[in-house]
Amino acid sequence: MRLLKFGAVALAAASLMLGVAPAARADQLDDILKAKKIRVAVVLGTPLFSFAGPDLKPTGSDVETARMLAKDMGVEVEWVEITTAARVPTIQTGKADILVASLGITPERKKVVDFSIPYATLDIIVAAPEGAAIKDYADLTGKRVGLTRATVNDQLVTANAKGAEIVRFEDDATLISAAVSGQVDIVSTQPPLVALMNEKRPDRPLKTKFVMRELNLGIALPQGEPKLKAWLDDWIRKNMANGALPTMFAKFHGRELPKDLADRVVN
Amino acid sequence: MKYKFDFGALVEYWPQLLDGALVTLEMTAISTVSGLAFGTLVAIGRRSHNRALSRLCGAYVETVRNTPFLIQLFFIYFGLASAGLRLPVFVAAVIAMVFNVAAYTAEIVRAGMDATPRGQLEAADSLGMSTPQIYWHIVLRPALERVYPALTAQYILMMLATSVTSQISVEELTGIANNVQSNTFRSFETFIVVAVIYLVLTLILKLAFWLLGLALFTRRRRLGTSL
Repeated sequence: MRLLKFGAVALAAASLMLGVAPAARADQLDDILKAKKIRVAVVLGTPLFSFAGPDLKPTGSDVETARMLAKDMGVEVEWVEITTAARVPTIQTGKADILVASLGITPERKKVVDFSIPYATLDIIVAAPEGAAIKDYADLTGKRVGLTRATVNDQLVTANAKGAEIVRFEDDATLISAAVSGQVDIVSTQPPLVALMNEKRPDRPLKTKFVMRELNLGIALPQGEPKLKAWLDDWIRKNMANGALPTMFAKFHGRELPKDLADRVVN
Repeated sequence: MKYKFDFGALVEYWPQLLDGALVTLEMTAISTVSGLAFGTLVAIGRRSHNRALSRLCGAYVETVRNTPFLIQLFFIYFGLASAGLRLPVFVAAVIAMVFNVAAYTAEIVRAGMDATPRGQLEAADSLGMSTPQIYWHIVLRPALERVYPALTAQYILMMLATSVTSQISVEELTGIANNVQSNTFRSFETFIVVAVIYLVLTLILKLAFWLLGLALFTRRRRLGTSL
């Protein structure tokens, strides 16, 4: 009798474990469709890409991309608001299904998360006041350069401007505060952010000194989800071709996406 | 759990993490010493018979203790810079910490002073001791001895609160940790290592405070009372 009881408990425990194991390996796209809900990580406070609109609801090209995508998938969006530095870890740890947060596709990031094909681009630049003689990384030696932590800007400036004093802020909003309050005069960031800084520091506006790189932005997703990736790639290709994505992007950014974007192979 | 730990990726960042820990300790040391001095003055001010001074000190203590440290930090770093006073980030962070911890110190020290038995004050008075003498020998020194454990706990809390200053780009332990995790994408391992470093720092601080207490409070040492 006792043995039987033990057997029953063991069986129940085993079935529980078995029940859990396949769920962990289940396909994420199926899970999303079943739950009728997709968890999208966004970084609010990034001008033009994702920010709180006049009615305080999230908007911007990243946010609208996620909305269009969810609509075509037939699911609801659950926003997961995070900081810039938390972008990769959020996907790595499965706190969101996908991330649409102006994340550049880089080889380092590709080692830990997967990316869709590019859905947008972003120039990253170094900006400084008019008179500053800065033409490339070498000119940054001995100068204070403000930037946002865990960005490609951070990576490139750290690698190429060895002599610079790099001042890292936790998110774009804090970087803007630093530029506006005059704590930093040289920044490595993106043009929309510089425009925003200049609105609030009209006396000594920052000018683009040089373009560091054109980043190809991808939608990030956890590794090992080929079905979800295929769906995203397919959706981006379709919406680039029918003009829906470029039209929406131009509405926010006032510039066209490169024609060849969906065909770019980014390593 | 299918997570595979890889602490090897952190090895090359070890010197940076150590530098960060040193910055944390440096900030803690400066603000402990200045915070104790400034906080004690505020406590004396708050007990003063001068109404205006007492109110001013009270207002300072209540303002600081009832607003978040992060807000105070942003106020000093960004707020003062907008007003034209541009402080280097390390200086701004330390000022914010002293400003913050002095208020807590003031309340703790004041509690210790208020606990001085009335009879002792009267005795000192009838012995002909001057007010500064009474304050030093009868009020302040025994008060510090009484509240020493509470004070040290507060300074250890402050050491942990230095992590917040990474928000304004101080490269202390947490700031470095965020750099490391964004380079290695090993956030789990990074924060485990950093938590252990904080734990070690706390133990070092505790030990230092305990030794300091033994050296300072000879009466307790003689009597064998624990701190």
